[in-house]
Amino acid sequence: MAITAAPATRSSWKRAGPIRVTALQLGIVSGVLAVLAGTFFDVRPPEAYGICMACHARDLLNWTVNRTAGTHLTVAPVSLVFPVLTTIGVLLGALLGSTSSKEFRWSSPDNSLKTFFYGALVMNSALLAGGCSIRLLLRSAAGEVLGLMGFAGMAAGVILGTFWLRWRATR
Amino acid sequence: MTAAIATLVIGVILGYLGQRSRMCFVGGIRDFILVRDTYLLRGLIAFGLTAWLAFPILGLFTGSRPGPFASSDVITILLTVAGGFGVGYFSTLANGCPFRQHVLASQGVKSSMAYLVGFLAGAVLFHGVIERLVLRFLP
Repeated sequence: MAITAAPATRSSWKRAGPIRVTALQLGIVSGVLAVLAGTFFDVRPPEAYGICMACHARDLLNWTVNRTAGTHLTVAPVSLVFPVLTTIGVLLGALLGSTSSKEFRWSSPDNSLKTFFYGALVMNSALLAGGCSIRLLLRSAAGEVLGLMGFAGMAAGVILGTFWLRWRATR
Repeated sequence: MTAAIATLVIGVILGYLGQRSRMCFVGGIRDFILVRDTYLLRGLIAFGLTAWLAFPILGLFTGSRPGPFASSDVITILLTVAGGFGVGYFSTLANGCPFRQHVLASQGVKSSMAYLVGFLAGAVLFHGVIERLVLRFLP
């Protein structure tokens, strides 16, 4: 498994090429957008729900199942009438970015069965905690102590996971 | 409907920028520990600080602030911390946070597509089995 941090490519970009964005810039933009969504665009209740990959994916799935099969699965109050579409948007936006910069190519760097189970485990943990890594930080920023505890748990998990990966790689 | 359109537009912006910047919300801590690289960590800290400042500043325009939050008991705190730990640990093993996996799936990475299928299957599993077990065996 590739766990090394890919350094930013410093190759010269063509003038008409795709724009360069740093993680710092994305952090600032996404922070503003996440708060804007909750404050001005009715992405509430619950509070601090602007961006969440896990909860929004759950809302979209459960809303679709509810509509087609007539069930009553859990959706957040904001998604009762029509679901939030963040996951679709991210997929479309990333597809736009990868095709416009010619970075789209089929590959399979990992075992798909393994990542399938990791996906299920991450979704279950996220729904238990009430947010994926993005929303846990967003809840902390909104001043919710519970969100801060969840974020601390997440940081502990990442630290332990990293040490586990390093131990396994150097064994 | 406003929320759906707004989140779709925000998602497209974030997906594009996330593809250009290779942002990952768990990779920052991982890279810092492994190779002392702060590129992704800066994005994580910038997101938290910007949101922390933007909540009160944008709240001035609408007169609304987030909260009040529901009071939490010990069980809720334990579940949140345990869930957060799981998110961090399994995301590190899966080589990226859910946001990064969505971006990778749009770059043609098949294992990340399998991750997304597992992601949705996990939601079915949670609401079908896990949530009921938690509610039954906890007071």
